[in-house]
Amino acid sequence: MTDPLTLPRYGRAYRVATVVVAVWVTVVLVLALTGDIANLPILEQTARNLYFHVPMWFVLYAFALAGAWHSARFLATGRTLHDLRAESAWLVSTVAGGIALVTGILWSRFTWYEEANVWWNGDPRQTMVAVQLLIGGAYFILRGSVDEPRRRARLSAAYALFATSTMPFLTYVLPRRMQSLHPGAEGNPAFSEMDIAPQMRWVFYASAVGFLLLGWWLYTLRVRVRVTEARAERLAEASAPAPTATLS
Amino acid sequence: MLALQDTLQDTAIAVLDAAPTAASEPFETAMLAADKLPVVLGVVLIVWIGLLLFLTVTERRLRRVEARLDAAEAAPPPRAQH
Repeated sequence: MTDPLTLPRYGRAYRVATVVVAVWVTVVLVLALTGDIANLPILEQTARNLYFHVPMWFVLYAFALAGAWHSARFLATGRTLHDLRAESAWLVSTVAGGIALVTGILWSRFTWYEEANVWWNGDPRQTMVAVQLLIGGAYFILRGSVDEPRRRARLSAAYALFATSTMPFLTYVLPRRMQSLHPGAEGNPAFSEMDIAPQMRWVFYASAVGFLLLGWWLYTLRVRVRVTEARAERLAEASAPAPTATLS
Repeated sequence: MLALQDTLQDTAIAVLDAAPTAASEPFETAMLAADKLPVVLGVVLIVWIGLLLFLTVTERRLRRVEARLDAAEAAPPPRAQH
């Protein structure tokens, strides 16, 4: 019988991958800050924020989906590893979402709202994303409020599926039904010819890939810490005098 | 020497003249300088702070599990009790 807490081996391939991520993101940073941009009025140099703000949305979505996948797998199989993976993916997703929201606030303050002098003007996409982050953040509050591990895993997996199901409506459907300053109210933002200057396109793609890979690295780190915790827990239970329920 | 002093003084005056009159909003002026490039710096710093936040919470968990494993190793082995 295989150990339910067995992770893939983080050996040579993993180490090579992390070096690739490190070099990739470093090159992206240099290109993002020195490369040629379309210097438009209002946007000016802040067009470079495209390389940092938008990839955070990709990370938010990708890891929310990963979290939902592992939550569903946990409900189907009851394996602790899926619960730990789901929690780690949600954390990466939430941190990326927080970064995206705060960078968006700063960016809009000095572009859209430069004359208006405001930090927040209820842009539909910003508002809906803030709501979505609150829904997602409640996942961690839920986890923190249940002590019994199996119960916590089951409840939070069900909640994660609910929280993911609101995401397309709040961040995709509704903002397109309302007036927004965000680009791409029609079509796919940042992918159409209108929304991105040709000289910025490839740096943007490289940046999106780089931040997704960086998110994956952080995610694996988190999973490894969580699995080590579970193994330490199991060890403590094994050496305890009274027999207790084993982790599955 | 005097000529140099004059040049320096002129430069200082030129810099002061160039300074925006709306001194009540120093943050605003700073962010809008150099074609708004400081806004990009701000965004990069926010990304960096977010990464630090993630590392800090993960590292805290790691430190806790390390302490637990240390304690488990220091405790007498379970078989010795029987």
